[in-house]
Amino acid sequence: MFKYRAKITKGAEIRYISHLDYAGVMERAIRRAKLPAAYSEGFNPHLKLAFASALSLGVTSEAEYVDFELTKNLCQPEVFDKLKAALPDGVKLLKLKPVKEPKPCKGKKHKALMAEVEEAVYEVFAPLTGDWDKAAAVIKKFNAAESFTVHRVTPKQNKEIEVKQYMLQPVKLSMCGDLVKLDMDIALTQSGSVKPGEVLDGLCQQYELPVEYKRALIHRKEMLGQGKPLIDLV
Amino acid sequence: MIINLEPEVLQAVEKPARYTGHELNAVHKEWDSVGCHFALALPDVYEVGMSNLGLKILYEVLNRREDTACERVYAPWTDMEAIMRDRNIPLFGLESFHPIKEFDFLGFSLQYEMIYSNVLNMIDLAGLHIWSKDRAEDEPFVVGGGPCVYNTEPIADFFDFFIVGEGEELICEVAENFIQWKNAGRQGGRQGFLRQLAKLDGIYVPSLYNVTYDKKGLFKAIEPAVPEARPVIYKRLIKDMDSVPFVEKPVLPYIGVVHDRIMLELFRGCTRGCRFCQAGTSYRPVRERSKDHLRELARKMVDATGYNEMSLTSLSSADYSCLGELVDDLFKDFEGEKVSFSLPSLRIDSFSIDLAHKMQQVRKSGLTFAPEAGTQRLRDVINKGVTEENLLEATSAAFKQGWKQVKLYFMMGLPTETDEDIVGIAKLAEKVVRKYKEVTGKWGVTVNISVSCFVPKPHTPFQWFGQLPKEEFERRQRLLKDSITERAVKFGYHDARLSVIEGAIARGDRRLSQVIYQAWADGAKFDGWSDLFKNEVWHEAFKKCGIDITEYNQRTRSFDEALPWEHTTPGVSRDFLMREWQKAVAETLTEDCRRGKCSACGVCPSLKAKIVDWRRENV
Repeated sequence: MFKYRAKITKGAEIRYISHLDYAGVMERAIRRAKLPAAYSEGFNPHLKLAFASALSLGVTSEAEYVDFELTKNLCQPEVFDKLKAALPDGVKLLKLKPVKEPKPCKGKKHKALMAEVEEAVYEVFAPLTGDWDKAAAVIKKFNAAESFTVHRVTPKQNKEIEVKQYMLQPVKLSMCGDLVKLDMDIALTQSGSVKPGEVLDGLCQQYELPVEYKRALIHRKEMLGQGKPLIDLV
Repeated sequence: MIINLEPEVLQAVEKPARYTGHELNAVHKEWDSVGCHFALALPDVYEVGMSNLGLKILYEVLNRREDTACERVYAPWTDMEAIMRDRNIPLFGLESFHPIKEFDFLGFSLQYEMIYSNVLNMIDLAGLHIWSKDRAEDEPFVVGGGPCVYNTEPIADFFDFFIVGEGEELICEVAENFIQWKNAGRQGGRQGFLRQLAKLDGIYVPSLYNVTYDKKGLFKAIEPAVPEARPVIYKRLIKDMDSVPFVEKPVLPYIGVVHDRIMLELFRGCTRGCRFCQAGTSYRPVRERSKDHLRELARKMVDATGYNEMSLTSLSSADYSCLGELVDDLFKDFEGEKVSFSLPSLRIDSFSIDLAHKMQQVRKSGLTFAPEAGTQRLRDVINKGVTEENLLEATSAAFKQGWKQVKLYFMMGLPTETDEDIVGIAKLAEKVVRKYKEVTGKWGVTVNISVSCFVPKPHTPFQWFGQLPKEEFERRQRLLKDSITERAVKFGYHDARLSVIEGAIARGDRRLSQVIYQAWADGAKFDGWSDLFKNEVWHEAFKKCGIDITEYNQRTRSFDEALPWEHTTPGVSRDFLMREWQKAVAETLTEDCRRGKCSACGVCPSLKAKIVDWRRENV
């Protein structure tokens, strides 16, 4: 098997499809590209795809990562060109690298993509509804806070999440045209993480951050492991 | 104007990708570059609409024309509808995001009667006048097509015109005529265009007719009011399935839809002659695509989508004359590409089981058969040429191949049905359970029986027959439930309340448009979704309009009565339907004309059509 890692986007056109549907988009694109894809065993063979981290519905990204396997060792330009040509609106292929496996004598495999990712960088944009100074004060207070808790309510569970443990850098506030921009650098750990939307929601509800939460747009800028973009780990 | 949906709208609704378009193979054309804008609608949610084969075909046929742009539109779910009404967002096309009001045509695929409330709701959401007579010169023409055109009368007053029969050729003629009329300065206005259209074979313009009723209030006649209108509109039909365009680049949905796979249409028509079946009379005669053409189409669709599943669709796919060879060839063509194939319906015989086994390979999810009635007597009445032995042989073959789950479809309320026939359903299902024990030596099978309430449909031999009242359906459902003693038999049935309303509308006349309007105005929509169906609203609507619903659903018509649906016809003659009714009562069978004797249904001579069956051709 020959593994490749692709850095791809999730554009505005498809921001409202789920992670599972996004995976389906990639699976069908690889099939259309007529790449010699490797399939799982079993009654219902599936293309072997692995993503770094699921993106929430509504969030765009310029740094999604997917590993896939081929049964033939094709050269990088061939795989790149074929895959690029088969992608639909909203997915762009930015980079592609073959994944170098460690020397076989060691009996080890390259770490799974999901285990490599440690950090995600986001930009959050939202219309300002009040005073800039108030917004700046809220962010300052958040950055200085010892802890900050948000509630995650899903059909299955109602959970409290301590946010600050995941904030790798202070949140940076700026203006971008008419919109407020918040830069967030969030840790993705084996035991959990927090979503940028949850942080924003918490800031609005608990600290009265003067932005229009419902009209916020969130964008993922990069995903890193050991401080490097995931594409540079292979 | 272009509709721009704000994130706060999309974030607030379930499955926002229903409304955001941009799917692979969707066709985007420069708005001003074409002379005709056609919106094709299916009045149900996106996932249902995106699964309709007829609309996929018409979408490609229209978009292959340089002068026409065709877009898709589906019924917004109730959450989205509430926001659209609140913010005055009109219904829009999924390609250009232009409001539907800016299109030239809004075409509805009409799959069954209980979707009519959604049709009205979509017309309203688009900002058009509900009644065709009120529509202004600049509003789109509202056009209907699909199975419901064989009785358009209950919705005739909402539509500007109907396309009767197969639309691939006719819809292009409509577009051409429209562009000519538009370029010539829209002569005669809307009515001028409609009168011109009425001259085309297969076009029905309801406003060009006068309807009369007799003293007792029964439908008497529908007569042309202008020379262009024809007294009888015969359906359009494609004579050569290999020469007509089919889907090559289906729009690929991003989200899971009901039929999320390639649909390869093997043939049209089914002449097995089941007497309850409207599809059986309305798609005649059988016309097959050639095997090589199908292989070509299959290759194009796989390459264009990347789908790894393909359904070989038709009314009775196992009847395709070269099915065995076709499946072998498809297996070869797609070897190594991990494409799986399926048949949507199985014939009750071992040929079908062997084929299903070959196609499913290892996954054995469950097999579905439709014996339709519980006793041989009643199966003879409906001309379902299947015996108990056939079913037991077929299921026994399936059990030997490893299947453990069987679904059996039945109907309740068929003409001449007695309690014995109802109990017969339970007995038959239990025989299948025992067959499993006999074949495998084990217990552990599940036999699901699904029983629907029979709705007599126009242009079938049962079109005169009075439908059962709701209470009687429910009594028979209880009787059946009590007759099942075997735990392996699981019983599911349809909501009789819905079936009796469907029964009224299916054989309704133009006066029912008031009832449909009233029901919609009082909140009926998505009636086919059991949690949204408002039974009371419908009955209230009948009352408010002073119409007795039982006159339409329960009343048995006499043979000399004029019927309000006979002017839009699939070409099957009244004489044939009457003969078939008499044979039904006499419990005698009629042969399949595909290879057996012609039963003189009248379709071939009246439409100048002929059967295309490749095995017959090659004999």
